[in-house]
Amino acid sequence: MSAAAQARTTWFERFAGSIRALMRVLRIIVRDPGLAFAVGLILLLGLIAVLGPVVWNKDPLEIDIGNILAPPSASSPMGTDDVGRDVFARFNQGARISLAVGAAVVVIAGTVGVLIGIAAGVFGRWVDAALMRMVDALLAFPALVLAMAVTVGLGIGLKTATVGIILPSIPFYARLMRSEVIQVRSAVYVEAAAALGAKRGRIIARHVFPNAMTSVPILAAANFGFAILTMAALGFVGLGAQVPTPEWGTMITEGQQYIVTGGWWVSLFPGIGVLLAVVAGSLLADRARDMVDPRRERDI
Amino acid sequence: MSTSVAEHGQGAGLSPEHGGHVLRVAGLQSEFRSRRGTVKAVRAVSLELEPGQRVGIVGESGSGKSAFALSVLGLLEPPGYVVGGEVILNGRNIAELDDRQMQTVRGKEISIVFQDPMSALNPVKTIGQQITETIRKHQPQLGKKGARAAAIELLRDVEVPAAGRRIDDYPHQYSGGMRQRVMIAIALANQPNVLIADEPTTALDVTTQAQVLTLLDRLVTERGTAVILITHNLGIVAQFCDVVYVMYAGRVVERAATADLFAHPVHPYTEALLRAVPRPDQLAQGPLPSIPGAPPNLAEVAPGCSFESRCPLGRGHKLCRTEVPVSTAAIGFGSGGATAECHFAKERVAEYLDGDATTA
Amino acid sequence: MLKLVLTRTAASLVAIFGASILAFVLLRVAPADPARLLAGPFATEEVVEAQRVALGLKDSLVSQYFRYIGDFFQGDWGFSFSVGRPVIDQIGSRLPASIELGLYAFIFALVGAVICALLATYRRRRAVDHTINGFALFGLGTPPFWLALIVLLVFFGILDILPGPEGRLSPRQEAPPEVTRMYTIDALLAGQLGTFFDAGKHLLLPALVLGFAPWAFFFRLLRASLLEVSGEQYLATARSKGIRRWTAFRRHALPNAFLPTLTAAGLIFAALLAGSVLVESVYQWPGLGALVRDGVIEQDYAVVQAFILIGAFAYVVVNLVVDILYGVIDPRTRTGSAVTK
Repeated sequence: MSAAAQARTTWFERFAGSIRALMRVLRIIVRDPGLAFAVGLILLLGLIAVLGPVVWNKDPLEIDIGNILAPPSASSPMGTDDVGRDVFARFNQGARISLAVGAAVVVIAGTVGVLIGIAAGVFGRWVDAALMRMVDALLAFPALVLAMAVTVGLGIGLKTATVGIILPSIPFYARLMRSEVIQVRSAVYVEAAAALGAKRGRIIARHVFPNAMTSVPILAAANFGFAILTMAALGFVGLGAQVPTPEWGTMITEGQQYIVTGGWWVSLFPGIGVLLAVVAGSLLADRARDMVDPRRERDI
Repeated sequence: MSTSVAEHGQGAGLSPEHGGHVLRVAGLQSEFRSRRGTVKAVRAVSLELEPGQRVGIVGESGSGKSAFALSVLGLLEPPGYVVGGEVILNGRNIAELDDRQMQTVRGKEISIVFQDPMSALNPVKTIGQQITETIRKHQPQLGKKGARAAAIELLRDVEVPAAGRRIDDYPHQYSGGMRQRVMIAIALANQPNVLIADEPTTALDVTTQAQVLTLLDRLVTERGTAVILITHNLGIVAQFCDVVYVMYAGRVVERAATADLFAHPVHPYTEALLRAVPRPDQLAQGPLPSIPGAPPNLAEVAPGCSFESRCPLGRGHKLCRTEVPVSTAAIGFGSGGATAECHFAKERVAEYLDGDATTA
Repeated sequence: MLKLVLTRTAASLVAIFGASILAFVLLRVAPADPARLLAGPFATEEVVEAQRVALGLKDSLVSQYFRYIGDFFQGDWGFSFSVGRPVIDQIGSRLPASIELGLYAFIFALVGAVICALLATYRRRRAVDHTINGFALFGLGTPPFWLALIVLLVFFGILDILPGPEGRLSPRQEAPPEVTRMYTIDALLAGQLGTFFDAGKHLLLPALVLGFAPWAFFFRLLRASLLEVSGEQYLATARSKGIRRWTAFRRHALPNAFLPTLTAAGLIFAALLAGSVLVESVYQWPGLGALVRDGVIEQDYAVVQAFILIGAFAYVVVNLVVDILYGVIDPRTRTGSAVTK
């Protein structure tokens, strides 16, 4: 067999292998209604975020004074708000913002937290002590209060609000990774001490990585929901996105004064958006956790 | 390990003509239901127990021993269910009683000692609270003080040192052996007729095992309590029991007086079990013999003998694969009443009798 | 025991110290002009200058930090320019309303969680369990301010059976004589049943909404804990004594299951604190949370900053108390071995 043919086979096998892995994941998802529901929700919201603004090409910022607080109709499925903007267009744009915030928080807080946790676990001693005290300081604030402190101090807006949500998220990743590294380190330590010193790091990495590959995404799913909920809360309080940005929390605020006087649709739909996104995240985390840890068989 | 079994207990051996059973279980069936199917854990098990008698139930883990014990007490929790059979205790069928009626039976007429004393006691209640709970339930006339005094007396009886002081300790302040003594005290608090001891010493270290077993021996002899001892340790059975039931895959595959069973195992599974016991004098002869294969999946019971796939005797016999062997009386030696569920039981007994005859 | 209290307290002090530095950096060092931030955009230059002097912005960071912390512990939490009152007075006058609301929300959450956890686990009915579980998932995911609006729409706007967003009492209802400044309690003390029911009606929606997320937290923890405990052997032991199933559960499972959920008290407090900011303003509830949101809208950040510091401080204290309480209640940490006694 020629080298080229061999390369082709491996390429093909690798492709087939990944397809098989994908099928396996799909099968797991389909078999678990809760998981399927969560994944479906996230896909749906993702679809709305990506395609919504393209398909429904009304301008979410366009004011139409002649058409204020119009109830849902064919021309505006979610009605219009108090200055005549199309709520559906704003909802779609809001999905984009919320999912982007959720993703940004998960990626940045996850990366920073994981690195802090690894550093604390690997180096131990004073590095560990110093890093963990920093983490404790972050944990000394209720999450929303810390996010408020960041936005008040650094200036109000979507970006600082995202930073404000990232900070209280970091400790969870850091603590998780630290405990996993320490667990492996204490187990590996004895045998590794006898083996070559240089290999210790690699052994730890090899043992930590597979665990982290499941536990970090689970945490991330929950964190994703938390981020979207907190962003909406900051928007509602007035510390997040500013008018006229169509962020879901801000949109709920805009509809607040009209809700009992008949303009319920302005607040209702963005709230449902937040609710679905957060429920999807929590449900995904729940189901994944139960699946990974058989001891947590939570079924009755 | 001594096999002298005839010294203790009123009923040494099986005597089928004896009608005075304190406990008679007939055809008891239990199963565990799950979405993946139903596991038949106890498949028509019968058992007789005379007053003061000690019966041993041996078998591997998963053979249905513990499910049997819980089923007798009516303590099987969903997804486990008792689906058939009778449990005649002191002349009445307690399998028919509802939970309210069972409350006067459990802890008073029949009680149980569980395997792991670490988890069988509530960690946030004192030892005293946990002993008096059962005394106050069944002897309310004693009152609070009387129950406490009785509890201290019980603790003394199970040889817990400084009982008067240690009654107010929490379980974590007791060692494993001490906790098992407490469990025995709880079980015997109301002088039950029957005590089920489910692997009472398995979780303990070897020296403690012996002490606890000796203690149990003394206590039940003094009180005339009949005991069902569930264990996988044949040494304990030899030391403690009058009669042995061997369980396999939810069935009693053989029963015999202890001495007979050790001398002449009829069922090939029993024989294999006995061979798997380490004997110090044979350790030099290589690895311990083990039973090849694994017990059958009780969720989908195949026709035929459940031991067939692991059996050294039945190899190739069609009968073993198609028909469930019936319980066959192993007549001919010992005190009688022995049975085995094997298609070859008769041949095996005959072989033994021949062998005994030639050596005699 | 004493050792436990001391180590926990020391750890909390370190956390408070770290948090105070974080707050100082975020609120004093990071902003371009902290004095302008506190005085608000509409303040005159004299007011801002006075603020600069008060903050001592030209001193070294270290002495600024100590003044910052010293002021906080002396109750000097700044001056609210939009109202023209010291922040501490404002917070003091708003606190009882928030405490009353939080208290009822907490009771709803606690009682509801216990009942639901028992319903979900005791009889082992899968359908009941799934239903309540799903509901709890919504509890975690629902934005409280949005839910506040929706239930307002339903019970006031559509059904009109509960009062609208008008605060703690109907407009014409007079407040009961001040004792605890919690209207339901004061009304009962004064024997004014009418006032009591009016206050209760006004409390119902906000307390339920505020309690929803804490209920969900609590329920999920308690349920998991109960499931774990109900598989424990000591329940079977209790039953083998002839104890009724429910009695065994009540005596042996419930207290043991409660113990781990105690650690969630901090989380629940945080949810109530954050929730107050989000829910109170919807109902025009004259509490601390509404004050904070008004502060944000009017850019009167002295109030917001004080709330941040108080919130963090109270949070650490709650966690500390819970930690110590846990040690006191659990005999495994409370007592050493009798052998070593």
